[in-house]
Amino acid sequence: MFFVRLYVIYNTENIFKEISMKNKQFVLAFILITLMNPFSVLAQEKISVAVAANFISAFKEIATDFEKKTGVKVEATFSSTGNLYSQIQNGAPYDVFLSADEQRPDLLQKEGFTEGTFIYARGQAVLWSANKDFCNASSWQDALKNDKIKKIAIANPLTAPYGASAKAALQKSGLWEVMQSKLVNGQDIAQAFQYASTQAVDAGFCALSATSSPQGKVGCFYHIPEAPAIVQAGCILKRTKNKVGAELFITYIMSDQTTLIKKKYGYR
Amino acid sequence: MDYLALYVTIKLALVTTAVLMVIAAPIAYLLAYKHFPGKSFVEALIYLPMALPPTVIGFYLIILMGPRGWVGGIWESLTGGSLLFTFLGITVASIIYSIPFAVQPMKAAFQKIDRRLLDAAYILGLSKRATFMRVIIPNSVSGIAASAVLVFLHSIGAFGVLLMVGGSIPGQTKVASIAIYEAVEMMDYSAAGFLALSFIPISYAFLLLVNRLNEDSRI
Amino acid sequence: MTLSATLKKRLKYFDLELSFTCPTGRMMVMIGPSGGGKTTVIRMLAGLAKPDDGRIIFGDEVWFDAGQCIHIPPQKRRLGYVFQDYTLFPNLNLYDNAAFAAIDKKEVDVLFELFKIDHLKKRRPHMVSGGERQRCAICQALARHPRLLLLDEPFSALDVITRRGLREELKNLKGKLSCPVIYVTHDINEALFLADEILPVVDGKNDDGWLQRTITREPGSQAVSKGAREPRLSLVY
Repeated sequence: MFFVRLYVIYNTENIFKEISMKNKQFVLAFILITLMNPFSVLAQEKISVAVAANFISAFKEIATDFEKKTGVKVEATFSSTGNLYSQIQNGAPYDVFLSADEQRPDLLQKEGFTEGTFIYARGQAVLWSANKDFCNASSWQDALKNDKIKKIAIANPLTAPYGASAKAALQKSGLWEVMQSKLVNGQDIAQAFQYASTQAVDAGFCALSATSSPQGKVGCFYHIPEAPAIVQAGCILKRTKNKVGAELFITYIMSDQTTLIKKKYGYR
Repeated sequence: MDYLALYVTIKLALVTTAVLMVIAAPIAYLLAYKHFPGKSFVEALIYLPMALPPTVIGFYLIILMGPRGWVGGIWESLTGGSLLFTFLGITVASIIYSIPFAVQPMKAAFQKIDRRLLDAAYILGLSKRATFMRVIIPNSVSGIAASAVLVFLHSIGAFGVLLMVGGSIPGQTKVASIAIYEAVEMMDYSAAGFLALSFIPISYAFLLLVNRLNEDSRI
Repeated sequence: MTLSATLKKRLKYFDLELSFTCPTGRMMVMIGPSGGGKTTVIRMLAGLAKPDDGRIIFGDEVWFDAGQCIHIPPQKRRLGYVFQDYTLFPNLNLYDNAAFAAIDKKEVDVLFELFKIDHLKKRRPHMVSGGERQRCAICQALARHPRLLLLDEPFSALDVITRRGLREELKNLKGKLSCPVIYVTHDINEALFLADEILPVVDGKNDDGWLQRTITREPGSQAVSKGAREPRLSLVY
């Protein structure tokens, strides 16, 4: 609808020329109504959600389910948490933000972009490799220390929560300094998984959710108990045009109905 | 302020420019003066990186340069080290990314030289190679310089390709453009701002240089 | 050394077929309407173009033989070639241009004095006049001790006065050269002035008839062009 409005605004002249005098008044009235009416009939039928990259597969199922149950359409944008956060600060028109951490939704609250935050999932970092031989070691730390392993992908710990969690695990195991020469930084958890999946690296720290994807099933992984759970929080943005729809969605995602889906993808 | 990233960026741009000046000259010579079957296909291939989105180039480079790829595999068996995620790897990526920007201005400069000048050189006893070094190059200096500057500027701005194949390793493959992106992600806007700002004088200085060179050649 | 050539080449609008010889010290002038193939002939003699068939022999060297697939490149023929323009390298000054392939750099000074461009030694080609450029081009060609001198309409782009002057100088020079000289022009008066021998080339073929048709003999010994005469010039200084 937004784009239709833009199109109309920029092409008003041309549109008018093409319409005969009789119909002009009718068209004018219609345009004015839709332009002036922020709560126009069509808007209530959808919400726009900004989703952290790691939650893609789980989200798609949840969204489809939600649409079926309520008839509200869900438009999703997937990107790295940091990217989405900056976009929101700069006025991106999302209704709901599902982050991969707690930090950013909290910041948005402090900055006045949202009323309150909620936790929608807890994720886990794992060590995954496309090569099944990788998982024959006694522990993930031993697997990493193997000389045959030359490169490991990690989502940039400074910018990605899963990377930070993996780093914490490495530090706890006393391996952080040692592994520096082998670590390759992916911009986000999706890129770290891509490196591992395409075997550009020998293994990568990925989200547990990635292991249940078709590409993920091809390889094997270690659980990393030392890695702190990634608490993923979200919020409704104040500037939402569809508060009703957004609240409906939040209720749904926090309910038991989605627990099974989340579990399927490695979230609690 | 991430000086290391700036250092990597400039080092990458300089190496890319130096290598490309040497590689692009014979290619430009071929395209400017020789006719051979399939020439238009070769030419389109060389200009391809200009038309492809950088992430597409990066995507295919990962496949090629990775340990299972053609190039990467051979490299590993020869040297034992990987090609991806190293300074050498991003240099290769940067070279491929900027080839069209090197070849195009050079080719145009070579073509501007009257063929009779080359004929005169041959008659005076110069071999084709000597003619290239002593007649063609000195008379295409502004074109070659423009090519160098263009490649340099294009390289310092490389982002998409390096994002894919770099692995953002500080001191090795984390260039300024990626550092800016990451600083924004970390909400360190002042760091991002400083780095971004530093690009402006560098790029501006080089653009002034191109302008100067263009004017000089119009005497 | 005598140059002897038999040339055959298929061109766009006609087939070129010529045969001629030119001994040392003689100037043979090729004349004819534009587009008749004269420049192609010169380029073939220089080695810049290849005939489809024929032979080019210089003294006892075979420069080209279609049958035996011999083609000596221009670099090895050691000749001098003066184009209508563009012989000089724009990135070098006049002295460096002439000395570019000179056998003996000291001769360049002598030549420059002979052609009266000594004072322009340090200038670049674009900073001197057309006539001065052509003088330098001739110096450049001569400095190489060419075994064969080719001139392709060297003065056509110049004004009448300069042309006349250079023509005179060339005629004087002719006697001192010890090589065959092939000269191309479309100006009949020039041809008649300079030539020891005239080769009319029309549509790629030797056409003596053309010459007869185009010149006329006036009472007295000077043959004069039938076409537009060159005006008598009286210069007021």
